[in-house]
Amino acid sequence: MTETITISDAKAIIKNQIEELAKRNKEPNWMTRIRYKALEAFEKAPHNDPIISEEELLHFIAKPEIEGLPENIESLDDLPPEMKALLDRLGISEVEQKYIAGLAVQTDTGVIYNEFLKEWAKKGLIVLPTEEAVIRYPDLVKEHFLRLFHVDESKLTAYHTAVWNGGIFLYVKEGLKVPFPLHLFFLIQESALAQAPHIIIIAEKNSEFHLIEGCTAPILVKHSLHLDMTEAYFSEGSKGQLTVLQNWPEYVHTRPMTRAKIGNGARFINTTVGLGTGKSNVANPKYWVEEDGYVELNGILLGQKDWFVDLGGEMYLQGKGAAGINASKAVIMDNSTVITRGIIKAKAPKTKGHISCDALLLSDKATMETYPGLVSRVDDAELSHEAAIGKIREEELFYLMSRGLDEEKATQLIVKGFLEPMLKDIPMEFLVEIRKIIELAVSGGM
Amino acid sequence: MLKVENLHVSVEDREILKGVDLSIGAGEFHVIMGPNGSGKSTLALTIAGHPKYTITEGRILFGGEEITHLAPDERAKRGVLLAFQVPPDVEGVKIIDFLQQVLIELKGMGPVEAYDLIVKKAEDLWFKEEDLHRYVNVGFSGGERKRLELLQAILVEPKLLILDEPDSGVDVDSLSIISRKIEELNKRGTAILLITHYGRILEHLDKDSLRVHVMKDGRIIKTGSGNLVERIEREGFSDIFEEVGA
Ligand SMILES: Nc1ncnc2c1ncn2[C@@H]1O[C@H](COP(=O)(O)OP(=O)(O)OP(=O)(O)O)[C@@H](O)[C@H]1O
Ligand SMILES: [Mg+2]
Repeated sequence: MTETITISDAKAIIKNQIEELAKRNKEPNWMTRIRYKALEAFEKAPHNDPIISEEELLHFIAKPEIEGLPENIESLDDLPPEMKALLDRLGISEVEQKYIAGLAVQTDTGVIYNEFLKEWAKKGLIVLPTEEAVIRYPDLVKEHFLRLFHVDESKLTAYHTAVWNGGIFLYVKEGLKVPFPLHLFFLIQESALAQAPHIIIIAEKNSEFHLIEGCTAPILVKHSLHLDMTEAYFSEGSKGQLTVLQNWPEYVHTRPMTRAKIGNGARFINTTVGLGTGKSNVANPKYWVEEDGYVELNGILLGQKDWFVDLGGEMYLQGKGAAGINASKAVIMDNSTVITRGIIKAKAPKTKGHISCDALLLSDKATMETYPGLVSRVDDAELSHEAAIGKIREEELFYLMSRGLDEEKATQLIVKGFLEPMLKDIPMEFLVEIRKIIELAVSGGM
Repeated sequence: MLKVENLHVSVEDREILKGVDLSIGAGEFHVIMGPNGSGKSTLALTIAGHPKYTITEGRILFGGEEITHLAPDERAKRGVLLAFQVPPDVEGVKIIDFLQQVLIELKGMGPVEAYDLIVKKAEDLWFKEEDLHRYVNVGFSGGERKRLELLQAILVEPKLLILDEPDSGVDVDSLSIISRKIEELNKRGTAILLITHYGRILEHLDKDSLRVHVMKDGRIIKTGSGNLVERIEREGFSDIFEEVGA
């Protein structure tokens, strides 16, 4: 860092960005006002991040793009060679590679996307880039935008709100059950390439959906701090699944902010597969669960290189019979640090909560910490936790090797087996790639 | 084919094998008997290359090549296979995926060919196709584990198969299928080193073709023909120990 960026420098930069975004998106005034309010909040909002200091944050704001990446990626040949090699090794198709590179987003798929969604739109499924939803469904967006966050909670929330761009808006009409997982690759890619995407999910009464975000392959983002925010609203009896696949390049710091309100009898299964967590990944999703509602947070983490992962998770069981599960499985390699800290607070009778954390340590230099927190304000809540941090058992490794598998292959098999139970809801086409990435990570080939 | 010479083995600084000599020719059938804790499993695991067992003296040769310090997978590739007395659970790894990979590695088979072969051979050992989608040994009964060990041996058809108590804790019907399969493997040319406490598994075998070794306290103290098995079953070990002054 050469020059010092002051807070007023940063504010001036953010102000410019807001003006640019407002113009580009042709967004209504009410949204631009939200951005300006966030800008005002930015200065006084607290900043506490275990990795990024306030000074660094201001630098990110002044200079969000990272250096050394090709200016213009016009074809796959412009990708950094290591990345191209990795994509080839993973066997990723050329079409998919193009998305990953940020190429051909609209041209190749606009058509398919429209055809497909038009059918479902008639039935009451809305999927749009969030910017477009702001214009086409202003009332719905107003009612749900930034309702689960306070703009002044932290500098990161304020900054995100001021400059958000990209993201998806998903609305599922009452009673509509979407029978297949929605993986809107092009939309998601666009939002991953954006620095601060904002995702809104609204599941009306008794609706059902499964949204898959992200992709298994590493994405060539150009920024070094990624701040996505997800707000999800589940009405009575709805069932939703959100699977987030992440494979961030190693220069990115990610601070995903996820919150969800789970209504009476609603269910939400939130799975995060962190194949590449990026340089650092700090998340503390929050869930409020009403009567007989259910939430499950499943975290799969591959700690690699010198990366830092801090996965929290707060669940507030506030209705009678509400239940929450926070389960994580981490494979920790190299010099990485992985911390998990789930908290479940039982505030109503007959609530149930369970935290489990399982970690497989593959390196003596890696660090794993786990801090489960259980808080009960009632006398008949059932809260429990279990944690196990271990190495690969010699007996298992020897058994597999005595069948002719070399140490690397045997280790890969054990690691895949360790994570397998957590991958139960992930469609086959992703599983194949996920397994390949795990293999590569274990043998140090990522 | 296998030659164990003056083998001394320690675990955590305690000497368990105290000079074992053993020689097994191609296609031969050898039996080891001996009291609990005499070192039978230790010998088996050491031949297979378990890292916990340190060889302090002596050596192991296989097919004329020294394998004393080879990694377990290298030994397997040369044709040694151990069916464990107590095979471990491997959580999350499906039997079918595991066996497919083994056949791909050891036999150079293609995945489809391997899959079909596994399903077919598994049927002979009473495993249904859906059983193969369970995790390796997880939740398996004692008898099922023994059958799964044998299935692996049948698929791999090693040059030398070491069976560590394949007959312990299995029911009568399983015992008969297990002993039949072992015989079949032996007839097809696999040399057998079988560790057991009971003669029953050897019932159908020609007693004269067996070599029986009696182990005590980390040493082989007597070697004889199949008749030795009956004698041990009848009299126990003490007379034999007395006779050889062990
Ligand atoms: N991994 C180990 N750690 C500590 N001690 C061991 C280990 N393996 C074997 N031993 C000890 O070595 C001795 C021989 O054990 P081994 O398992 O070889 O006996 P065995 O002849 O196979 O007995 P059994 O008939 O009961 O199976 C025993 O005293 C045992 O406790
Ligand atoms: Mg034994």
